[in-house]
Amino acid sequence: MDRQLANFIRALRNLEVRISTAETLDAFSAVELCGYEDKAFLKRSLSLVLPKTIDEKDTFDACFDQFFSFKDVAGERAESSSDSDDAESEDAEGGEGEGGGAGGEPGERKTQASAGKNKKKKSKSKNPNSLDGLEEEEEDLGAGAMSEASSPLGQLLMNNSKVELSVATSQAGEAVNLKEIQVFTQKGLYTRRIMEEMGLADLNREIRELRDRGAVPDRRLGQELTHRRDWLREQVRDYVEKQFLLHADVSGRRLREELLRKVKLSNVEQRSFRLIQEIVFKMAKKLVALHSRRKKVFKRGALNVPRTLRHNMSYDGAIFDLHWKSVKVDRPKVFAICDVSGSVANYARFMLMFLYSIEEVMPKVRSFAFSSDLAEVTDLFSRNNLEDAIAKTLRDYSGGSTDYGQALADFKKLCLDDIDNRTTIIILGDARNNFGDPRTDIMKELYDRAKRVIWLNPEPRSSWNVGDAEMKKYIAYCHQADECNSLMHLERIVGNLLRTVG
Amino acid sequence: MTRIIMGFVPATEGEERPVSESEATASAAHIAEITKSVKALKDDFEDHRYICSDQIATAVYLAYHLRKPILIEGPPGVGKTELAKTASEMFELPLIRLQCYEGLDEAKAIYEWKYGKQLLYTQVLKETLDEVLQGAKGFAESVSRLHEFGDIFFSEEFLEPRPLLKALKEENGCVLLIDEIDKADHEFESLLLEMLSDFQISIPEIGTVKAAAEPPIVFLTSNNTREISDALKRRCLHLYIPFPDVELEQRIIHARVPEIPPELRRQLVAFIQELREMDLKKVPAISETIDWARTLLLLHADSLDPQMVRDTLNVILKFQEDIENVDSEITTLTSKARK
Repeated sequence: MDRQLANFIRALRNLEVRISTAETLDAFSAVELCGYEDKAFLKRSLSLVLPKTIDEKDTFDACFDQFFSFKDVAGERAESSSDSDDAESEDAEGGEGEGGGAGGEPGERKTQASAGKNKKKKSKSKNPNSLDGLEEEEEDLGAGAMSEASSPLGQLLMNNSKVELSVATSQAGEAVNLKEIQVFTQKGLYTRRIMEEMGLADLNREIRELRDRGAVPDRRLGQELTHRRDWLREQVRDYVEKQFLLHADVSGRRLREELLRKVKLSNVEQRSFRLIQEIVFKMAKKLVALHSRRKKVFKRGALNVPRTLRHNMSYDGAIFDLHWKSVKVDRPKVFAICDVSGSVANYARFMLMFLYSIEEVMPKVRSFAFSSDLAEVTDLFSRNNLEDAIAKTLRDYSGGSTDYGQALADFKKLCLDDIDNRTTIIILGDARNNFGDPRTDIMKELYDRAKRVIWLNPEPRSSWNVGDAEMKKYIAYCHQADECNSLMHLERIVGNLLRTVG
Repeated sequence: MTRIIMGFVPATEGEERPVSESEATASAAHIAEITKSVKALKDDFEDHRYICSDQIATAVYLAYHLRKPILIEGPPGVGKTELAKTASEMFELPLIRLQCYEGLDEAKAIYEWKYGKQLLYTQVLKETLDEVLQGAKGFAESVSRLHEFGDIFFSEEFLEPRPLLKALKEENGCVLLIDEIDKADHEFESLLLEMLSDFQISIPEIGTVKAAAEPPIVFLTSNNTREISDALKRRCLHLYIPFPDVELEQRIIHARVPEIPPELRRQLVAFIQELREMDLKKVPAISETIDWARTLLLLHADSLDPQMVRDTLNVILKFQEDIENVDSEITTLTSKARK
């Protein structure tokens, strides 16, 4: 069982839930406390120990249900019997007797079993579902007692404990290395291997023997075992399927993510947006973690009297080691100006996404969007969630032909006064100005006032000055100009940004 | 002189509120009784008018048995702080509370030297210093004589325990509530790590202070204004308290405002649940539901009607923008809730 828990944790890790070794140990001690019997309790307990964010909790819930799902034997049997054809009458009538066995009331079952031993009788029973494929009709044995199963798997099946069965299944899965499953065509193979590992051969032999025996309880057991074996096969197939999803699917996903990181953002298809967004959040989270531990910068301010006295105690109260009340220096402001006209819109989308995802370490982002006229969209972002805000920005501002001169003029009018030596301005655009006036004078003004002006151009460096591109003129007034067309670039640039703006 | 020194004594930071005064005796047996199963815990919480889900009861159960702190997250007003308070009442242990805020540091959270007293003592001892040093030859001997006095100035005598240290020193254990940890700085989280994983605190001048026989039961709450660091999360059980479902909320209202008629209770909970589905700046939490129930009770309402809802809307909605948004929908919402 511990193996299974370890595997479960492995599966969670595959689903990007971060679980440390310490937490794994906690999980084991939690399980020691609550046991495996009560599944809901187990789930509640583990959900306190393993997932540590709300998102992770959702993942955990889904994963737990998938991993520990093992439907009730009895319930499943009732279902399957109602739609199986020839076993119908027998099942319907034999419901009581089987209910005794399947309903999990050990006392009742025992008395019935012992009663059954007294009235053993020879007869034949075949099952249409049995492996050897005999097509004989199943005999109506009526309600009554069954004898006890002898093979280990048979006993397990008749014991009717889904937990034990699931344990056995996963142990078998472990033994045949189910984790290594790679492609979906292997599912059948693994199902069979697991069944064999669990003792299918013995069970089949027992079923055959039972069928050849005369006593009604024996044959009844044989039938019951057959049903349950088939049910088990279904379960194992299910289990393999889920394990496949848990283990193999993830590696495919990793690959896809790796690719998406490098692909040009303009080539990303609509359907990958969600995934990209996830990647962006993930990258942002990494950056946040990296930079949130930044040392505070202290400025000299008012004297911190208590601290000064305390530290000077050792000098007999002579105050010469001064301590100041610390003043945290505000985080710098970032102005993001995004060209959202057709060709660049996608890049703008992801950059805005990135900037706002790292809100925690970069609190003061003001964003502006333009194609011809420029407007501030900061409000949109504070009022709406990220996706909506981006969608609205692109909808409202992406029409019109690009005019960098106009946009810069608008920007100057809007907030030149707010730009000071702690401001970083990021301009995202291809600088294709449709041969209009580039207004480099404003660029110069910005360059003089701001701490940094960074130009991100989605086009490759070689085409920066081709055609109507004004990059050459603008680049003179930028502290930094970079090519930026994939998530990798974005991550690097924002990372640098965080490093330099602190 | 004294007066000046006293003037420097800072105001006590961090709220400390002992809930039960002296009944900490024989509490161990009492606690063992309560925590023997999740069910028992849940019932006991209910006896103290805190209606909790299985998840919450499980969290407290595990926290007690695994000796782990619980980090509670969730929207404001779902009873995070209340859980700790109720737990302290239930276990009959004192509650020590540390309210976090930006700039909180070890001097306010863990310990502080009574520098006023230290300064005073230095002044007093100045006179006796001559006696001590009398007959000492040379600098080395003087110093070694002084050394004989040891570090009396940095002994427990001069130590002012703050909430965390206080919690460790409680003989019979206590409930320690570290409230709104997300408001404190990142650095403060690191400061907590030693305390949370080993229930001990290292004071450079004295050494390591370990928890008394019974370590405190620690609750941390966070409103999710920022991510808590992984290191801290790793040391805690993580409990997320969401908004309650209809049934649970009704029971909570029943426990908290028992006088309210059942029909009105049903309606107002339904109304609130509808509101939570809407796109609001701040959705009403349980505390607002309780306030509203009290308000309606005061107004002798026996069922919701649009006019009354309109008049009392400011109890549950805290932003004018939200009130305006909801105002137009009141009639529909009310009739829905009355169904």
